[in-house]
Amino acid sequence: MSTHGSSALRIIGSPAPAAAGPRAVFCGHCAKTPPGGVAPEVGSRVCVSCGLGLLLEAPEALAPKPRDAFLVVDRSLSVHALSKRAEKLLGLREIDALDKRITDLLVGADAEAAGPHHLSALLVAAAAGADDVTEAVVRPADEFGVRFAARIGPCGPTPGALVVLDLG
Amino acid sequence: MRTLKTSEAAGMLNVSANTLRAWERRFDYPKPQRTAGKHRVYVHGEVAALRDALRDGLSISSAVSRARESLRSDTHILVGALASFEIERADGAMEAALAMRSVERTVEEVLLPSVAELARRSGTDSAAWAIGSRWAIEWIRRAHRMTPPPVRPGAILIVDATADELDPDATTVRALELFTGRTGIRVTSVPVANHSGVADLVESLRPGVVVLAGRHANDESIARFAYAVRAAAGSLPLAFFHRGDAEVSRTSAVHQLPVSPSEATAQALALLDGHAAPVRFTERSSS
Repeated sequence: MSTHGSSALRIIGSPAPAAAGPRAVFCGHCAKTPPGGVAPEVGSRVCVSCGLGLLLEAPEALAPKPRDAFLVVDRSLSVHALSKRAEKLLGLREIDALDKRITDLLVGADAEAAGPHHLSALLVAAAAGADDVTEAVVRPADEFGVRFAARIGPCGPTPGALVVLDLG
Repeated sequence: MRTLKTSEAAGMLNVSANTLRAWERRFDYPKPQRTAGKHRVYVHGEVAALRDALRDGLSISSAVSRARESLRSDTHILVGALASFEIERADGAMEAALAMRSVERTVEEVLLPSVAELARRSGTDSAAWAIGSRWAIEWIRRAHRMTPPPVRPGAILIVDATADELDPDATTVRALELFTGRTGIRVTSVPVANHSGVADLVESLRPGVVVLAGRHANDESIARFAYAVRAAAGSLPLAFFHRGDAEVSRTSAVHQLPVSPSEATAQALALLDGHAAPVRFTERSSS
């Protein structure tokens, strides 16, 4: 293949990554921040406060506070972690929720949403690394008349989506 | 089977001993065994699998689940093959396990747990147990036949106190023969009932240690054999392996080898080298 002039082939830079906002580190079970609030080293991600969760990272606007109800799902929307409050709210232990689809536990309850799969689409986008923190209205899968506002966004370091329920 | 003390397991996972105990309560994993002194010891493979799963997990629960799965997969395949009488598939499962582990680890982490699971699931009076147990012993014997000839000085005499190939202890005793043989020493096994002519055997083999293995034969048979050995060779270190709650007299000096064949092998070699002190039983077992 021949090239004509320097404009035929040129190296172009990758698109600039979206500016990532400040991130917070929290325990995936008790939501407490580690001492110093710094990202853990690989191999030491177990929460020193409760010992029952792994330290995760999320945008500061999304990161839960202790006593928040939240869930962590992977790219296939399987549940990996439930906070203590989410366990109480949904009536099942984290170990029993493991590998269940989040849609078995929570469903969209937003009349304005863009279709029945709106919640799944938001979760897939978040687990794929979308930086935005989005909001949705959800309800427990087997209950009517109860609705929660939920913030949804990415968490890591292993790609996942974090759903924080606003219980008011 | 390699085991870790609580502090070693906690260090490997970068957590405190309290956290390990909290996981044991909440997840029943890693599940420690207990030493004679009631201290926790963790199976190295379980802890290593959890360490790997924690590295890219999203929660402790999911890491524990993954660790369990990774340990079970080879055992699952083997138990499934044996329970359905598929011997070729069982051979294949062992081949696959060997690709990831040494012979010793394959036997200890896959074969022995699978045989134990088969006994638990089907019962030792089942056809599946008869086929599975014999297959396991034949597999170990095949591996033993491929062991290079002895190159190290010293010999061990294993006195087989199991009933037959269907004795639940038989596979583990064969594993001990394999493991000790693979260290390069000379190993000979003889049934406990065949005590006649033991003097000639001892004269020929010149064992440095005698291991009495299995719990089927009664104490009288064991004592008769031990007497014959000592009459021929004088005071030799005696050790029990998978002998259960053996009762020994107040004056006996006998070594209890660990239940794990690899640990028992290491201890038997230490005995052979004169490095291990016997466990002196000061009182009869109450059990």
